[in-house]
Amino acid sequence: MEEKREENWQPKIVAFLCNWCSYAGADLAGVSRYQYPPSIRIVRVPCSGRVSPNMILDALRSGADGVLVSGCHPGDCHYISGNFYARRRFALFKRFLEFIGIEPDRVNFTWISASEGEQFAQVAREVTERVKRLGPARKLVKEIEPCSR
Amino acid sequence: MSNPKGSVLVVGGGISGVQAALDLADSGFYVHLVEKSPAIGGAMSQLDKTFPTNDCSACILSPKLVEAGRHLNINLLTLSEVLDLEGEPGAFKVRVRQNPRYVDTEKCIACGTCAQKCPKKVPNEFDLGLGTRKAIYLRYPQAVPLKYSIDEKACIYLKKTGRCGFCEKVCPTGAINFDDKPKEFTLEVGSVILALGFRPFDPSSLEFTGYGRLKNVVTSMEFERLLSPSGPCMGHMERPSDKKEPKRIAWLQCVGSRDINRSCHGYCSSVCCMYAIKQAVIAREHSKSGDIEASIFFMDMRTHGKGFEAYYNRAQKEGIKFHRARVHTVLKGKDDNLIVRYVEDDGIPREEEFDLVVLSVGLETDPSAISLSKRLGIELDADKFLKTSLFSPVSTNRDGIFVCGAFSEPKDIPQSVMEASAAASCAQERLWPSRWTETKKKSFPPERNVYAEPPRIGVFVCSCGINIAGVIDVKEVTEYAKTLPGVVFAQNNLFTCSQDTINQMAQTIKEKGLNRVVVASCTPRTHEPLFQETLREAGINKFLFEMANIRDQDSWVHQDDPEAATQKAKDLVRMAVSKVRGDEPLPYNFVPVKKRALVIGGGVAGMVASLSLADQGFPVTLIERKDRLGGHGRKFYRTWQGNLMQDYLKGLIETVMSHENIDVRLNTTLKAVSGSVGQFRSELSDGSMVEHGVAIVAIGAESFKPRKGKWNYLYGKNPNVHTLLELDQRFIKNDPGLLGMNQAVFIHCVGSRVPERPYCSRVCCTHAIDQALKLKDLNPDMDIFMLYRDIRTYGKREHIYEEARAKGIVFIRYDLDNLPKVSEKDERMTVKVRDPIIDEEVVLHPDLLILASAVRPRDDVGELSKLFKCAMTEEGFLLEAHMKLRPVDFATDGVFLAGLCHYPKPVEETIAQAKAAASRAAIVLSREKVPAESITAIVNPMKCTGCALCTLVCPYHAVGIDENTGKAVVDTALCKGCGACVAGCRSDAITLKNLGNEQIMAAVEAALEE
Amino acid sequence: MFTINEKITVEIRKVARDLLKKGEVSAFLGYTKGTVPMVMKPFVARRQEDAERLSWNSFCVLNLANYLPLVLKSLEPPRRPNEPPPEGPLPKVGVLVTGCWSRNMVVQIKENQIERERVKIIGISSRGMVDRKKVQALVDNNEITEVIEEDHKLIVKGHGFTREINRWDVVRDNCKSCVHPDPVIYDEVIGDLSGGRQVPKRFGDIQEIEDMDIEERWQWFQEEILSCIRCYACRNACPLCYCPTCFVDDSRPQWVGKSIDKTDTALFHILRAFHCAGRCTDCGACESACPMGIRMRLFTKKLYKDCMELYGFEPGLKIDEPLPLTTFKLEDPQDYILQQGQKGEEK
Repeated sequence: MEEKREENWQPKIVAFLCNWCSYAGADLAGVSRYQYPPSIRIVRVPCSGRVSPNMILDALRSGADGVLVSGCHPGDCHYISGNFYARRRFALFKRFLEFIGIEPDRVNFTWISASEGEQFAQVAREVTERVKRLGPARKLVKEIEPCSR
Repeated sequence: MSNPKGSVLVVGGGISGVQAALDLADSGFYVHLVEKSPAIGGAMSQLDKTFPTNDCSACILSPKLVEAGRHLNINLLTLSEVLDLEGEPGAFKVRVRQNPRYVDTEKCIACGTCAQKCPKKVPNEFDLGLGTRKAIYLRYPQAVPLKYSIDEKACIYLKKTGRCGFCEKVCPTGAINFDDKPKEFTLEVGSVILALGFRPFDPSSLEFTGYGRLKNVVTSMEFERLLSPSGPCMGHMERPSDKKEPKRIAWLQCVGSRDINRSCHGYCSSVCCMYAIKQAVIAREHSKSGDIEASIFFMDMRTHGKGFEAYYNRAQKEGIKFHRARVHTVLKGKDDNLIVRYVEDDGIPREEEFDLVVLSVGLETDPSAISLSKRLGIELDADKFLKTSLFSPVSTNRDGIFVCGAFSEPKDIPQSVMEASAAASCAQERLWPSRWTETKKKSFPPERNVYAEPPRIGVFVCSCGINIAGVIDVKEVTEYAKTLPGVVFAQNNLFTCSQDTINQMAQTIKEKGLNRVVVASCTPRTHEPLFQETLREAGINKFLFEMANIRDQDSWVHQDDPEAATQKAKDLVRMAVSKVRGDEPLPYNFVPVKKRALVIGGGVAGMVASLSLADQGFPVTLIERKDRLGGHGRKFYRTWQGNLMQDYLKGLIETVMSHENIDVRLNTTLKAVSGSVGQFRSELSDGSMVEHGVAIVAIGAESFKPRKGKWNYLYGKNPNVHTLLELDQRFIKNDPGLLGMNQAVFIHCVGSRVPERPYCSRVCCTHAIDQALKLKDLNPDMDIFMLYRDIRTYGKREHIYEEARAKGIVFIRYDLDNLPKVSEKDERMTVKVRDPIIDEEVVLHPDLLILASAVRPRDDVGELSKLFKCAMTEEGFLLEAHMKLRPVDFATDGVFLAGLCHYPKPVEETIAQAKAAASRAAIVLSREKVPAESITAIVNPMKCTGCALCTLVCPYHAVGIDENTGKAVVDTALCKGCGACVAGCRSDAITLKNLGNEQIMAAVEAALEE
Repeated sequence: MFTINEKITVEIRKVARDLLKKGEVSAFLGYTKGTVPMVMKPFVARRQEDAERLSWNSFCVLNLANYLPLVLKSLEPPRRPNEPPPEGPLPKVGVLVTGCWSRNMVVQIKENQIERERVKIIGISSRGMVDRKKVQALVDNNEITEVIEEDHKLIVKGHGFTREINRWDVVRDNCKSCVHPDPVIYDEVIGDLSGGRQVPKRFGDIQEIEDMDIEERWQWFQEEILSCIRCYACRNACPLCYCPTCFVDDSRPQWVGKSIDKTDTALFHILRAFHCAGRCTDCGACESACPMGIRMRLFTKKLYKDCMELYGFEPGLKIDEPLPLTTFKLEDPQDYILQQGQKGEEK
């Protein structure tokens, strides 16, 4: 699958960020003017515990080259325990996706607190880099097919 | 006596005045807010960024100002001054004069046409004269109220009647009124709060600085404006002489502070060290080339607040140079550059060339504040700050009149905000019987039923000055928004959060029949409530709203890629539009309030907070884990002003124990907490349950005892080695053993400002110096040596540092690479330390060795923070909702904090914070009900299998299974809208209102549309 | 001489007859012979005489737990959605269980789908059920007209052939790797319990796939589901799939398109498997039901393996143990979390 990719190809990465920590961390990255690639599209969710595998699949199906889910650090969840449930759900789900051949770097999980603006920018850069190395996603992207098969 | 008045006068529209006004207005009082300038906002509105979070000052302040400006129970009196006051507490009569604005605020739409046409340019005082403004002007772009005013001293028409008058001719609404006259009126209020603020010291008299003579010497306030995007050079940082970006910048500290000889200001201005570091950090960020050399010349680096030391460390790491030296001369160099001459520790004179010199000027009281104090009979101290007693830090000498902010002592924003709430609390302690007697009730128009309507979406794209428009092509984004399905209106605004735009938005919603609104601007975390209320005012349910974060998460993070940033902005707008299309009107839920406070911790903070609430008529349950009240205060001898702690504490404990509204539970801890604001249920260790509407956490801290390791210094081994509090106990006991001693040595920063505890403990410098003075009183011939790293006697505390030096106490500085060495032989202690001034080792043999050891957080803070779901800092102190503007609130509604568990602080600040917590708590307790979450989970019984997975993952036990139907049901009073149940449900049977899977999918899919 | 299964059949009939006779149960859920060889149909005996039609052999591949809630429901008086349940105890059902089915029932009890008190559980230790497709393959897919089962072999007859097959050779893969053949909950037992089994490479099949590289795995996954016709037989056979509206049928939200587009098919299998995470007992009903021979068990078994590895959890073994996705431990592994944002975690 080695093909030449455009150097300045920007992947599209859907990021589900919890409102209390990671979204605030992303805001802080802005306030602090930490620059990162314009590849991330942030979807604000109340809690990482709100994110279901379905949502990640939906992003991939709709053509996301990568997905990032980020919540509060374990123990910091605004809703006490949401990220702990999320941690189990995503551990199983990520292993499963890799089992059926989805590249590990496509779907990423992390914890970013409201005070970690720099870390957010760093994660955004890193995830973008990982996804760029993989190239555009194809595996679970739904192609619009003509009516006749 | 009849009931007191239910209204309060707040004088001063800076951040502390605004905060006091908001607290009072939110808890049932009508507030008159008097401000002498045409707009509120004070000094904070002039700042670019704020330390230590680097928050944009205007961004965090603006919502508060707008809230105050729009508050139904705040009567904003700009261009006004207090003339005099008579009467008594509870019933003052205040005469106020309001000067003419010459612009009818009802008619002015702030379109700015008048200022464009006005031919008269004058120096703009908001930019400290660095830029110009017209005779008709706005104080600043986000001014509240956003109304023009005419400067009568500059206006051609007003000076020579009949000439000019252009503004009147061009004003589209006929708002100009040259016949406007001063108005005088009398306000009847129960209490007065003075928040008169400060003015920056004027260094013109300080010849050595070259200020006024040398173009490129500016004050810190001027530099603040040079950095500000709304300042005279649009944030491009140009130096005055040639408008070039300065590459080498020097900050000279203590200009007009800690200087009796030249500026007559003996006090420390508290904030300058931090703002200088902040300016250096921000200047480097602002610089286009990024190669700015920043040097700070200082005597002692005073980074004594929460998060400050870390900020200082980071600045050092980033390469900002710190010179411990006082500059004696600034000379003119080549090309208007500046030669700075200074002497460092080694005594060798040096000089260095800079492009720009910033004078870190101190704070002083404005003459108008001095004359007002005279008129009101308010006593000032020798430094011309308001005189307060440390045990009643926000009271003045006149009963019923309170003070907050920098008017009583130079202080930073959080401390000012804390005091503002504290002053509000003091006012309420007397006026509480008249709560809600003079207030007005907000009524929104009935909401239009939009269920049957197709989406009619309005999109408002904000330029945020140049914050967004400087990177993103906002016009293109606006045009693009118009093409999106459902969008019937799109508009670009300079500042969408400004009052006029907001009013206009409400108008547009009505005129265009909009039923959904998207604002593309900054972050919803700060601005969503503001815009949502606008929707309500326009008769639309506030949940029919979305924001696209095109500033914090776009223009600010893609500054060098305008094209991609613009594309991203379009994507974000498209996502918001897709999401808002599916939004439905939601009910406004409320929770009834249990009128009781639970206060955890029976130290000074807990007792003061309890007492303040009890004095306002609210029942309080105060729990203390030990068998008696008093906490740390029991070990503390006196304040730096000499007030004896034990006397104060005794009185306080007696009052608390005998107060009919306070239920004191000793030997009691908190076991479990359920519920939320208005309806907490807490289980105590004695097995009882307490139902309470709010909680105040005041669990204190501990003092670090260096029993072993690097900081041991014979502690616990030699009986004459003490911590500060241990010496205090000997003072309390009048220990005769302290008499007749020959030598004492104090070691500062024992366990503070070190890698394992990288914060400053704030209280120890002052405490140690006061103890040294006490020892000197006991033994006038005693030799006392203070081994320190930086002396941090901030504010008025500087005076005792001065006194200590005058009395011959010797200060020797050490640093972390050269720690003092303490040894013992035959019970004789030896302390060796290298004196950097004489560059020799000094050998001391003290009878008494005092360790100014750190204040450290309690080990069990984590358990408590989990009970209330509140956050902690990395050091283990409790973390407030916002470091600048919400210093006593937790992110968890209805829970507040005070005292040492927040950060080390002296007793006067603890008292202020405790009262502040009481004020914040009173906002909840004064109401019958508080708003509850509207975005709650909802079950579709047709899809529900009753498998109960949702009930297991809900952290609030808000979901249960209905016995009859076997299906899940949500208790909306308990639901916080986290969505754990939604993600857990395989059947898609439970969803979050307006945050359902379909809507998230819509946003995701919109994000990925090409 | 009776075979083991014949003895069990006799016992089943006796037990069912007695229970129905005493009125202890109102229905008995078991198996009866289908119309073609190697097909056993779930069967509900409601009268004593029906008990004679019950039967047991190596072809009982459909999971009775799947039918149990429906049978229970059928015995309840009809009521409107908001009407409270009738007073007094509701009629009971007797049911046959093996190890995996009993574990499914444990999950169903935890998920409020059945009430333990209403079920009379008759346990049988499973000797492993036979995969009809394997038998067919051994006779080159010729039509089979009769199968005679002995304890360790099957005699398969067709037009012009008779073939003796070693029973274990054609036992289903899930049964071969099963370590829990004995029921975990029961009221009575028929036959002897095995006391558990040892299996050398329990997850050997999963390991094999895990050992492939990422593109090979994607290739394998694609090929595995290529023939899927989205008939949902796998879903229908599963005792854990009981949503009133399945996600594949839902249009609000529409997580999965209804076509046989390859992405939609993939999403269907991913989500179906994930819905079974921490619940599936590897009973094999899905695979047995699949007309296209898709080995979707490999998907669920992977999740089974990971639940065991990560959380030490096996579904349905203990009635008082929470399902893995409804609980957590502070020290749950999180090595998949990007290290960048890591702070303070001891790991």
